[in-house]
Amino acid sequence: MFIYIIRKLLNTIPVLFGVAVIVFVLFNLVGGDPTYQMLGRHATASQISELRHEYGFDQPKYIQFTQYLKQIVTFDYGRSYATKQPINGMIMDGIGPSLSLMIPAFFITTILSVAIGLWVAYYRGKLVDKVVVIFCVFGMSLPMLAYILFGQYYFAYKLGWFPISGFETTWPERFQSVALPMIIFIIVSLGYDVRFYRTAILEECNQDYVRTARAKGLSEPRVFFKHVLKNSMVPILTNVVVQIPLLILGAFLLESFFGIPGLGSITIDAVHNSDFPVIKAMTTLDAMLFILGNLATDILYTLVDPRVSLK
Amino acid sequence: MMCGLRGIPAISVRIIGVALLVSIGIAGCTSKSKNESLNVLHIVADEKLKGLDPIYTNDLYSGIQSSQAYETLLQYHYLKRPYELVPSLAQTLPTVSRDGLTYTFSLKKGVLFQDDPSFKLNEGKGREMTAEDVVYSFKRLADPKLSAPGWWVLDGKIVGLNAWRESVSNTVKTDYSIPVEGLKALDRYTIQLKLLRKSAQFLYSLAMPFTGIVPREAVEFYDREFINHAVGTGPFRLSEYNPNSRIVWDRNPTYRKELYPSEGDSDDQALGYLEDAGKPLPMSDRIVVQVITEKQPMWLNFLAGKLDFAGIPKDNFTSAITPKKELSPELAAKGIRLLKSAALDVTHGTFNLSDPLIGKNKFLRQAISMAFDEATFIDLFFNGRAIPAQGPIPPGVDGYDAELENPYRKFNLVKAKELLVKAGYPEGEGLPPLEYATISDSSARQQSEYFQKMMAGIGISLTVNSYSWPQFQEVIKNKKAQLWEYAWSLDYPDAENMFQLFYSKNVSPGSNDANYINPAFDRLYEKSSVLPAGPERTKTYGQMVKMLVEDCPWIFGAHRMSFVLIQPWLKNYKPNDFDHARYKYYRIDTALKK
Repeated sequence: MFIYIIRKLLNTIPVLFGVAVIVFVLFNLVGGDPTYQMLGRHATASQISELRHEYGFDQPKYIQFTQYLKQIVTFDYGRSYATKQPINGMIMDGIGPSLSLMIPAFFITTILSVAIGLWVAYYRGKLVDKVVVIFCVFGMSLPMLAYILFGQYYFAYKLGWFPISGFETTWPERFQSVALPMIIFIIVSLGYDVRFYRTAILEECNQDYVRTARAKGLSEPRVFFKHVLKNSMVPILTNVVVQIPLLILGAFLLESFFGIPGLGSITIDAVHNSDFPVIKAMTTLDAMLFILGNLATDILYTLVDPRVSLK
Repeated sequence: MMCGLRGIPAISVRIIGVALLVSIGIAGCTSKSKNESLNVLHIVADEKLKGLDPIYTNDLYSGIQSSQAYETLLQYHYLKRPYELVPSLAQTLPTVSRDGLTYTFSLKKGVLFQDDPSFKLNEGKGREMTAEDVVYSFKRLADPKLSAPGWWVLDGKIVGLNAWRESVSNTVKTDYSIPVEGLKALDRYTIQLKLLRKSAQFLYSLAMPFTGIVPREAVEFYDREFINHAVGTGPFRLSEYNPNSRIVWDRNPTYRKELYPSEGDSDDQALGYLEDAGKPLPMSDRIVVQVITEKQPMWLNFLAGKLDFAGIPKDNFTSAITPKKELSPELAAKGIRLLKSAALDVTHGTFNLSDPLIGKNKFLRQAISMAFDEATFIDLFFNGRAIPAQGPIPPGVDGYDAELENPYRKFNLVKAKELLVKAGYPEGEGLPPLEYATISDSSARQQSEYFQKMMAGIGISLTVNSYSWPQFQEVIKNKKAQLWEYAWSLDYPDAENMFQLFYSKNVSPGSNDANYINPAFDRLYEKSSVLPAGPERTKTYGQMVKMLVEDCPWIFGAHRMSFVLIQPWLKNYKPNDFDHARYKYYRIDTALKK
């Protein structure tokens, strides 16, 4: 397994290099020169030239790209063009608010959707199954923005159950800040997750070993937990672990509408301001987290399914 | 076929359901247990802040926030209109030499910087602000290593300052001890500024946030983090700074004695703006600034009374304002007030006159200008909240002529087609599609579609190219676009700030994006920029406007109106385009707020 992990980690190098190339090319093709934005409309030619020199925009592209690669290796992206804040500090400040929202939302969604998945799988074809599937499809069909606009207006403004927006750093006020976006996240995610888990569980329910287990007289809970659920863990794990990077990277829309200063909101602002260093950092972080997430999934497969081995 | 687990899923669902209900309960029940004082201003910033260092405050929100802590030599009278400069850190307005080139300021004595750990010699107690701080702050604005966007306010104006900037540009560390002839501290409380040439607008620079006075100790102590701190002489001290979500300012206990103005405009007494005359500033104990970038939460927070004032989002305009442009009865019943004021700005379509096709064909520009229906545009995109512009000068500024009728801004397709014939393109024949540059957001896209439709009316075809904001700037500054929409808000209350956009020495990448070059206009511009306010200058401004109307480097668009809603408990809110430190005048009527 150790060699497998090392090999996987080494594989991240060409992946990250590819990400770096794409990000660099995209921003040099469509990003525009940030100098004009930074200096405003009064800027003179000499000021523009000075700033371009200061930020190294006047260097050949290959040198700029080498600098970018160096930043990836050292994970030091310097400072934001827009706010002049150190990017590592911005990321550290943003992780907390993002996780405050995403960790509880993610856990509740996962537990709830697996439970509902089991429940409707049990009642497959019955009215309850059909109703849940209809609700799932309905939930998936509405964009998150619709939930946000309705939730903010009705539950926060009209009923006053939640703050309309804003983020508190202290507890339990922080919980209050993230409660409504968390519920919206859960509702929006449930549709997809329940359908996915239902399908995964039903796949297993049709297997021969389930029939054998029942023929041997095992109780239904034992059949379900000991055999069906365990065998369903591979797709469940895949779906769960692949979402872990998103916990850290935050939820763009939710953070933006609810004023949560997380990484999602930082990324949105960076795109809006063409803040290249922040986008570079977030894209690289994104890629790294996905690679690590995939690696973790592979390792976890071996724990839940003895037939899987890492070579 | 059934796959069974009777009972267990239901229990799971129940457990999780209970957990969710508990979470909602906690969320609902933990509302504001803090004993927050009522004398707190609640303000919204609808953009994230870019820092508090005065030299980088080239956006409105950063300028306003920075000005709560940093003060300038001069400031605008809060109540009087037209705008009038009054002393802030200066004791009085400066004495000016006979040749109009030397300005001498006496500083107020006993003005203290806010307490801060950077004042190590005073064990964290703020020291007195002196003339040396003014010299340092102005040199800092000129420091090429800091690339301050506010440098333009002093660029080419003070004797020796550009040379100093040049001399330190290639050194490892900027030497602030090198003297500058035109920037001298004559003694502890006297500062002398020598100008290269007379300027009627120079004093306005000294009321802009860029020229806020900073203490050298704090700049050196915090180094690159200075942008996240505020150590000024102003009425408020920074208590919490998260540029992404919230900024909190508390009353500065060492603030000097400054009083609410005792005189104002003729109707200010009747409007209640003088109720607090002579009272010490600031009027509030604390300011809580919430950064809310989305319109819906901003609007709902205002309706819920969590913000003391707010603009009206475009999508909520019809629910808040009646067709007669009055406040809706529902909001009026809550005691909310509507304040309407003309913003000192102009929106405009810009022709790139360096483009061989557009630049050499005045008739073509005039035809395009005449074919653009501004009234419908204002209704569609500004909810009717704007006045069609006839020239560049907004109402309320010297030189604005309410009687002016720009012949090329009367929507008339017949005459526009006649002009197109004169331009050599009857019904648009032979004219290649013009390139219209815009930014890639939904509103800009809608506006470009409207522009396309207008031009189709006279047979002109437009190719719309959408760009990211930096790309858009790059295209314009490199003279690569033919036509685009833009807007300009005055930096100070003088039409010169508008005319400099047409001065030939400012062509791209400078502020003259239209690349308008007219020696006769330049001569008038140079003449007017040294003239004091008066009939001669107004007449000169009128001549310059006429030239611009005829040459048509812009399609003069609209002067926008600001509609602001005020909660019943907020007092002394008077629209002000230039006083960035205006929060110190706002008062919360705590009895009403209860």
